[in-house]
Amino acid sequence: MSFTLGRWAAGVALLTALAAGCGTAAAGHSSGPKPPPATTHPAAPAHTANPIPQHNGGDQDPDNNGGPSDGDGNI
Amino acid sequence: MTIHLPRRGKYALAVVAASAAIIVTVVAFARPGGPPRRSFPPLVAAAAPAGWIHAELPNGTAVLSYPPSLRPLAGDKDAVSAARRGPGGTFQLYLNATPRQGTETLAHWAAFRLGLLRDDDAATAHQDAAVQGVKFRGGTGSCVIDDYITRIGAHHFQEIACLVQGRTSASVVVAAAPAAQWARARPLLLREIGAYVAR
Repeated sequence: MSFTLGRWAAGVALLTALAAGCGTAAAGHSSGPKPPPATTHPAAPAHTANPIPQHNGGDQDPDNNGGPSDGDGNI
Repeated sequence: MTIHLPRRGKYALAVVAASAAIIVTVVAFARPGGPPRRSFPPLVAAAAPAGWIHAELPNGTAVLSYPPSLRPLAGDKDAVSAARRGPGGTFQLYLNATPRQGTETLAHWAAFRLGLLRDDDAATAHQDAAVQGVKFRGGTGSCVIDDYITRIGAHHFQEIACLVQGRTSASVVVAAAPAAQWARARPLLLREIGAYVAR
């Protein structure tokens, strides 16, 4: 059995490209099913889902009018 | 089986190997979490310089300090704010302290803050750096540096936001500036955060 150099190099390049493609697809969250995570971590507590309306809604804070956000909890 | 490669083949093999190395490197850095995040700048807890103004939270649990070039700003009745405004009322510097109101914790502060910005008044928000275990005057805190674009006016701000746990209660201190002026404003904002007192 013999290999030609061109086929051998093409094979290596193809395998490299496939490996890179798999990595990118994994990072991009492909549509395939995912295994459950090996470990679980406590989830971050969700903040209060109570956004204060913009355009001066609720209070007079600058952040309801396009200004910087203050430190309130949207309460 | 033995494969004998001619000299030309060795060169080709080197080219293929080099190409593979480049591809793997590019893919690794393109993946989330590949490149290292920016480090958080040093936050030094120190008394405010003489002449600075001290504004205590109405519930007495924290004190915000700022130079006289900033002016008190109206806002929530349980919070204190100050700002330096530019032409047309634009914000050049902004400071705010508010008692902890929600479910924010020191362990999850950065994620909480980013989520709050996105849900409340920001069209987009990105974390730039975060740190935990920061020593404050009278407490310990977690801080995040982020930048966001407001839904109204599409103003691009950058901020340092910290959740500070004092002896008896927690509060949030925010120091912000337009992102375009961040590099110039950052030293003063860090000093104002470092002068923050929790009780």
